Amino acid sequence: MSTALPPVIHLPLREPEFSDHVISPPFVESRRWWVLLVISGMGAAVFIGLFFYSVTLGPGVWGTNIPVGWAFPIVNFVWWIGIGHAGTFISAFLILLNQHWRGSINRLAEAMTLFALVNAGLFPVLHLGRQWFFYWLVPYPAVTGVWPQFKSTLPWDVAAISTYFLVSLLFWYLGLVPDLATARDRSPGLWRRRVYGIFALGWRGTARQWRQHRSAYLVLAGLATPLVISVHSIVSLDFAIALLPGWHSTIFPPYFVVGAIYSGLAMVLVLMIPVRKWLRLEQVITDRHLDGLAKLMLVTGVMLFYSYAIEQFIAWYSASPIESYQYLVARTRGPYAPFFWAMAAGNLLTPNLFWSSRLRRNQPVLFVASLVVLASMWGERFIIVVASLNRGALPSSWAIYIPTWVDWGILLGSFGLFLFLFLLFLRFVPTVALSEVRALAHEVEEGRRRAMAGGVAARPDGQADSLGRIA
Amino acid sequence: MSDVNGVRASADDRGDRGVGDVGDVGNDGDGGRWASALAHRGGTDFWRGLDELLDTPEFRARLAREFPDRATIPAEAWSRRSFLKLLGASVALAGAGACINVPDERLLPYVDQPPEATPGTVRYYATSMTVGGLATGLLAESHVGRPTKLEGNPLHPASLGAAGVYEQASLLQLYDPDRLRGVRHGGRRASWQQFASEFITPAARRQDGGAGLLLVVGPTSSPLEMALLARLRQRFPAVHVHFHDPLAPVGALEGARRAFGAPLLPRHDLDGADVLVLVESDLLGSSPFHLRHARQAAGRRRMLDPADSMSRIHAAESAPSVSGTLADERLRARAGEMPRLLAALLAAVGGAPAGRAAVPEDGRERGWVDAAARDLLAARGRSLVAVGERQPWHAHVLAHAINARLGNVGRTVAYAPSVIAEAGGRSHDPAALAELLRGGAVDTLLVAGANPAYSAPGELELGRLMAAVPNAACMSMYVDETARLCGWVVPHAHYLEAWGDARAYDGTVSLVQPLIQPLWEGRTLAELLAMLLDEQPDGRTLIREHWRGAGLPGDDAWERALQRGIVDSTETATSAPALAAGVEEAAVAAAMATPARASGMEVVFRQDASVRAGEFANNAWLQELPDPLTKLTWGNAAQLSPATAARLGVEAGDVLRLSLAGRELEMPAIVLPGHADESVSVHFGYGREGEERVARGVGVDVYGLWPAGAPPFAAGLAVERVAGKHVPLATTQEHWSMEQRPAALAATLEEYRANPDFARPQRGRQLSLYEPYAYDQGDQWAMVVDLSACIGCSACVVACQAENNVPVVGAEQVRRSREMHWIRVDRYFGGDPEDPSVTLQPMLCQHCENAPCEYVCPVNATVHSPDGLNEMTYNRCVGTRFCSNNCPYKVRRFNWFDYNAELGETERLARNPDVTVRERGVMEKCTFCVQRIRRAQQAAQVEGRKLAPGEVVTACQQTCPTQAITFGSLTNPTDDLLQRMAARRRYAALHELGTRPRVNYLARIDNPAPTPPVADARGVDARGVDAPSADTATGTTPAGGGGQA
Repeated sequence: MSTALPPVIHLPLREPEFSDHVISPPFVESRRWWVLLVISGMGAAVFIGLFFYSVTLGPGVWGTNIPVGWAFPIVNFVWWIGIGHAGTFISAFLILLNQHWRGSINRLAEAMTLFALVNAGLFPVLHLGRQWFFYWLVPYPAVTGVWPQFKSTLPWDVAAISTYFLVSLLFWYLGLVPDLATARDRSPGLWRRRVYGIFALGWRGTARQWRQHRSAYLVLAGLATPLVISVHSIVSLDFAIALLPGWHSTIFPPYFVVGAIYSGLAMVLVLMIPVRKWLRLEQVITDRHLDGLAKLMLVTGVMLFYSYAIEQFIAWYSASPIESYQYLVARTRGPYAPFFWAMAAGNLLTPNLFWSSRLRRNQPVLFVASLVVLASMWGERFIIVVASLNRGALPSSWAIYIPTWVDWGILLGSFGLFLFLFLLFLRFVPTVALSEVRALAHEVEEGRRRAMAGGVAARPDGQADSLGRIA
Repeated sequence: MSDVNGVRASADDRGDRGVGDVGDVGNDGDGGRWASALAHRGGTDFWRGLDELLDTPEFRARLAREFPDRATIPAEAWSRRSFLKLLGASVALAGAGACINVPDERLLPYVDQPPEATPGTVRYYATSMTVGGLATGLLAESHVGRPTKLEGNPLHPASLGAAGVYEQASLLQLYDPDRLRGVRHGGRRASWQQFASEFITPAARRQDGGAGLLLVVGPTSSPLEMALLARLRQRFPAVHVHFHDPLAPVGALEGARRAFGAPLLPRHDLDGADVLVLVESDLLGSSPFHLRHARQAAGRRRMLDPADSMSRIHAAESAPSVSGTLADERLRARAGEMPRLLAALLAAVGGAPAGRAAVPEDGRERGWVDAAARDLLAARGRSLVAVGERQPWHAHVLAHAINARLGNVGRTVAYAPSVIAEAGGRSHDPAALAELLRGGAVDTLLVAGANPAYSAPGELELGRLMAAVPNAACMSMYVDETARLCGWVVPHAHYLEAWGDARAYDGTVSLVQPLIQPLWEGRTLAELLAMLLDEQPDGRTLIREHWRGAGLPGDDAWERALQRGIVDSTETATSAPALAAGVEEAAVAAAMATPARASGMEVVFRQDASVRAGEFANNAWLQELPDPLTKLTWGNAAQLSPATAARLGVEAGDVLRLSLAGRELEMPAIVLPGHADESVSVHFGYGREGEERVARGVGVDVYGLWPAGAPPFAAGLAVERVAGKHVPLATTQEHWSMEQRPAALAATLEEYRANPDFARPQRGRQLSLYEPYAYDQGDQWAMVVDLSACIGCSACVVACQAENNVPVVGAEQVRRSREMHWIRVDRYFGGDPEDPSVTLQPMLCQHCENAPCEYVCPVNATVHSPDGLNEMTYNRCVGTRFCSNNCPYKVRRFNWFDYNAELGETERLARNPDVTVRERGVMEKCTFCVQRIRRAQQAAQVEGRKLAPGEVVTACQQTCPTQAITFGSLTNPTDDLLQRMAARRRYAALHELGTRPRVNYLARIDNPAPTPPVADARGVDARGVDAPSADTATGTTPAGGGGQA
């Protein structure tokens, strides 16, 4: 690429001012934070209220029917869990690939993963007919002697999601420990120090601790990486093992993983752009990060395009009238055709903006494009779930699905819950991985110094990778 | 635990203070002992509790016990605070406990157990139900004195073992919570004694010979009621008796009166009919004897072997009917054009030649007439022309003439007097009733078992006239439109609560015996008449005494008749009268007098497939039963052909304003392929305004539009769309086309003979990597459904609903596509949308051996039994609905809400105790009536024998009038099942998915008339299927190319 990349961090990084800024950002005291918190809190209340409303009255309060037995709750589940993927992808995948620029944004992305998973984990429970028996999907030694049915993908779903949540939580927390220690040391007020002190687990920053921390972090990254692939593969098998035209497809696992990362990256951008501005983190979250995320979106978007094309091609190539009807007629001309075309356009055209390096660094463009991608990816899941069920194998049973106000309320409420948790995160947890950023700054400086001393040309991207790893 | 802890905590409280300031607690007596106990200890001595510190003997004793916590609270440990704590907790818990509504139930054993009643076993009693005055024999299933299911009586000529939707659903009517509960006078509760003394006695003591007394009853064929009416007339020579029946066969009776001089009705024998011509006649669906006709007609179309003979059915009708779906050659024409078609048909078979001009020389009508005539002439004496009972008189005369000319009379059709009392007489004419009421001579009105205020032509204003009668009483099951007008309202007994009798269409007397005491003090018409006659008002005595003198003198004969449900040899004799001279020509002239294309649109008033004339409107099972063709539930809509709808610019659900002769009404439209153009069909029975909660406000009352004295169709209808008004219709099937998928296969007879194995690619083993599970041990249950026989009558749907406790969900839930029927009848249209072919397919759980639902269930709630049943374990289901999503047939049903929560006390009694009532959030579906299988297996096991073939009969199979459904064990099959499994047209729906269903279908075979030779090739294939070539060697003459022409 001919264009010079922006630096990954703007030097010099002044300490302890920077740490203080991250630990107690002025933003969280602002009116804006409070307004957002109240609004999202109301959304979370709506979510919880409608959750219990649905549990009390039954799934009949939604628009689901026969044949469309799954709709908004499952669409929301797949969408949220897809969002979650980007966090793990950025923190685990990229650390293994030595993409050091991730250090500035992995904390944000991982937090996003956790909160997306909170949402994603609630929907499969909510969508049941008898929610109070959700634990029957868990293989526990019941006195009845009945186990879950392991041929079904749903028990694997439970296992995958719960594993993913635990590993994500541990990974996030492990990365947080040194920063919590910084917060403990730098926070104003005794109580905050005490609380941070408890969570910092006695971190002293000794070389031995660092050594163990780094290796544990890498091991967890190694564990989390296959999860990025496996979780959404298993989610995709919820559909792919079915006979239903529109679900019965072997491309689903990679297709779902790519789509998940794609939508997750969009969510990272949607969160990062305002957070960077409001928390004044431009020094460490630079245009370089925007550029990198946009490039990743472009790559995953192109892979998604391939998946869409193969789906349609195989439908035609299969010569199965039921299969080809689903893809070539029902989706393109059926009752949900406007949504199909809108989501296809949104998903396939939008990332093409990012062939241009200028647009990759244009915040309004990135922000709007990411919103379009998020909406389109929700639409993609809606088309996969609802449009397939709506036009099954037997035409006599075809029936339209129309969501009810409860469906919409739960969807909007889940945004509220997500944002609510995220705002609390901004207030109480260091939003940037301080230790990693410090190391990054150090390495960039070292690299420059060595370049000047030894005459080696400094890499313009500021990426000093004479060392195999950071810190 | 908690109480002891509570006491301890309280002791510790005091202890704390004691330890902190010993001197303070000296006044409670123990302080001194603690002080002394502490005094003996050093600073390093630890004590865990004050008891240990004091080291009392009680403490030592408690320490020695194994479970000190289980100790009862020592009385002296009660303190004020602990007492109050416990009191508060108890009150709170008692309040919480009261939140659980524990129903007050009593389980009492019999004191003296009747020898025939063993709790848990089922008994069957023969009884019969009348619809339109005609009886259908039934067997009622009784669970410890509680009727729970009705099935046809195989001995009864109108049933032959089958039952229709009304018979099946009448069970729910018995338990209907909206039924009138006790006598009412002026809206207040009263008693039968009051009614007898205040209404009946004055009426019975009349001195005017009954001149001011008017009795309005439903049509009746009951010998007992007729005898009582005769006695009433004897006693009150001037009494007015009127029979109210909006669906009376007026035209048929008038035609017979003109043709034969007597109110005779044709009795058809479809067994002998190689060619059947139905003209606006629903012989198999709604006519009297329809169950028998359907059985006979289907029997001529079994076609298990391609060489078998097959009947051919020609139908001309204005709207697709149940019978029309079976037709091979179907012509859609307006109801008013039927006489002209018959005149042309008469001319074509050699009758009065004037009729030749009745239909244009070119066009579809001529093609249909010529094809029908060819077949009729080729099958003299083995053919039949039937006309809808409510076509005008001349249509019936023409049909009689055609049948006579073809030599069918005495073979496929015979004539007998109507069994309905005074059929065709003036006492059946609603206009005469209106005239009588208008005359003002009537001062006392007694209506029983009829609802003339609702179900009469609107212009007669019977309701207004009846309201003017000073002294009115109504005996009714519900507070309906008529009952609301009457000062006295007394409950009518349901037939399952009543003694009585009635005749079948062929005159066979059926007895009605009760299964249960009247739930709400109901009485029968016979008991009411006996009250008027000052006789003993006891139904059992009345019927027994009547039959003692009428053919069943001895108790043995009586018991035998009761047990069998019929009185032997009571069938009325038939005759073969000759047509009156000149009537044929008069009928042709009358037919020709109606213009070929009357101006304006035509409206046809029809009985509804679900609620009939309105008498079943409060039956939720029937309200939710989809119409056989439109699949509409919960209401009626004006049926239009697609072309007419396009011309008017309306779509299904758009509201139309129909105006006829100054009266108008608004109702939604529904588009029905196969309907006649420029014709609108509307259905009776909806728009009720009585106090029936289910029926109230559902659909539109069309009686108001019906002109008095007219046949149930009229020309000159004006139709316009009401701009902006749209009613969402609750239909159960949205899509018409099969989209070329192998769901319901069909072929013509010619194709079948040319390629008998056309269904072969859709059955048999498929390639698989896995060895299929061997289902070879014990019984292996399977079902075969013959699509050639299915007429879509939907009796199976209601039978299943009654047998399996299938809930009703209501119109809003049906609109959301959440109906719960375990079996449904899928209806596909094919070919030209104006003249479509119709294929019907009963669809139920296919019990796939490779069931897609089973491997996706995460909790093992749906599994396969060793005998091949796809089983549903309701209490293991968590409701993921993955099984339904993965079911290609979409036969699984989900309890979106607690659909059984709002059932009234009486409705619960209708539940089959052998079948679990499902809770909210679980999936359910057809079980192959597993409760019947297990019951039969247990009985066989107890008796130490093998299960006999055919011993298990599913509810749908049992009630099917055409025997389209066969069920049994593949390892121990009946001959029927064996033959059908071996049939070459057997196939599995959506076979390519590899589900290996245990429900197989027999592809439908149609027998369209061959295209005539080129010189006469105007016939257009009305079915829109590929017309076979003209000169094939096999030739598909009716009855299988036997060359009888």
